[in-house]
Amino acid sequence: MNYWAIFKKGLFEQNPIFRLALSLCPALAVTSNVFSALGMGMAVMFVITTNNVVVSIVRRWVNQKVRVPVFITIIATIVTLTQLVLEAFVPVLYKELGIYLALIVVFAIILARAEVFAMKNGVVPSFFDGLGMGAGFALAMLAVGTVREVFGTGAFLGMQVLPVSYDGPLILILAPGAFMVIGLMIGMFNVIGEYQNKQAEEKRKLAQLTMQRGEA
Amino acid sequence: MAHDAHKEQDSSMLKIAMNLAITCFIAGAIIAGTYSFTEPAAVNQRVKLKNDAMKELVKDADSFQAIQGKADWYKAVKDGKVIAYVVPAESKGYGGAIKMLAAVTPDAKTIDYKVLSHNETPGLGDGMSKPKFRNQFGGKVADELVVVKTPTDNNIQALTGATITSRAVTKGIKEAVEAVSEYTANLKE
Repeated sequence: MNYWAIFKKGLFEQNPIFRLALSLCPALAVTSNVFSALGMGMAVMFVITTNNVVVSIVRRWVNQKVRVPVFITIIATIVTLTQLVLEAFVPVLYKELGIYLALIVVFAIILARAEVFAMKNGVVPSFFDGLGMGAGFALAMLAVGTVREVFGTGAFLGMQVLPVSYDGPLILILAPGAFMVIGLMIGMFNVIGEYQNKQAEEKRKLAQLTMQRGEA
Repeated sequence: MAHDAHKEQDSSMLKIAMNLAITCFIAGAIIAGTYSFTEPAAVNQRVKLKNDAMKELVKDADSFQAIQGKADWYKAVKDGKVIAYVVPAESKGYGGAIKMLAAVTPDAKTIDYKVLSHNETPGLGDGMSKPKFRNQFGGKVADELVVVKTPTDNNIQALTGATITSRAVTKGIKEAVEAVSEYTANLKE
């Protein structure tokens, strides 16, 4: 598998939020505006990539029986570092993300990537796997955040993009709106996924057909 | 791979404990190292944020001086004269504590306030930070800080759908104004 393929699968095929439906808690909680959604996405991308690299480096010294506690300790360390750095240099984002920043520790997607991928692969593939998964997560957060902020408040990143007279439905900013937006987006992704599967299927059939004709 | 050499004694209690202990030790060391590096910057940021918040409330002030004997009270000074007091205000809103910073003139009139932290409903209660609601407070004395539901010039008109929040903010600011008026009265004696 080349590195691009490893990276790419996190974007669409195995997108953490839209395809795997993992880590939905932050996707609901901090996507009411683009700034915090993107900030959260970046933080998770950093944590998941760093964690994959660290896990793939230390995997040979980690005892099988305690690998989960060890992984969680590693994740907690990386998250704490992120928290300290954000607090010192980007206090606005730190305040905006609040408790959800610390909650990155228990995101299923991060431990899952350590178990499923980094534990079994070298440093470089693990890096790209984490980067891809993190980018997929960040893009999903950005998409949900954009829909909610633009249609909920008429602004993007705090700048007015729709006419001032636009009075968006309040529900988009509230938690139920997040459920609806994510639900619709998952549905959309499934439709696209099905279409792609169908196309791949047809391609395969066509190839078979040509082969048969060639034989005849 | 390393797991091929996974022997029976690898999973003895001591080895497992050592494995975890070493991980935690390294993690602790890394965090401690980073903390000692970032903490001074974080302290600076907190002070800067606080100063910025006060500057936003009292734009004319040259400097802010802490008042002794009153925790977190500041006086805004311009040309050697006190033009405002910046005091913390707290109140219980719809979703828990609302923490604010209130700017009050020495003759006990509200200038403005800034919400520092809150848990009010987005889109309803958080309208308390918007100028439309906030500007109603400017120049009002404690007795005028009463929430009503109809448009008003002398009182505070509640936010649509967030009466509890409006009352909480008004109560918090009113208490801050009263505290300042008590403090300045004592100063004159």
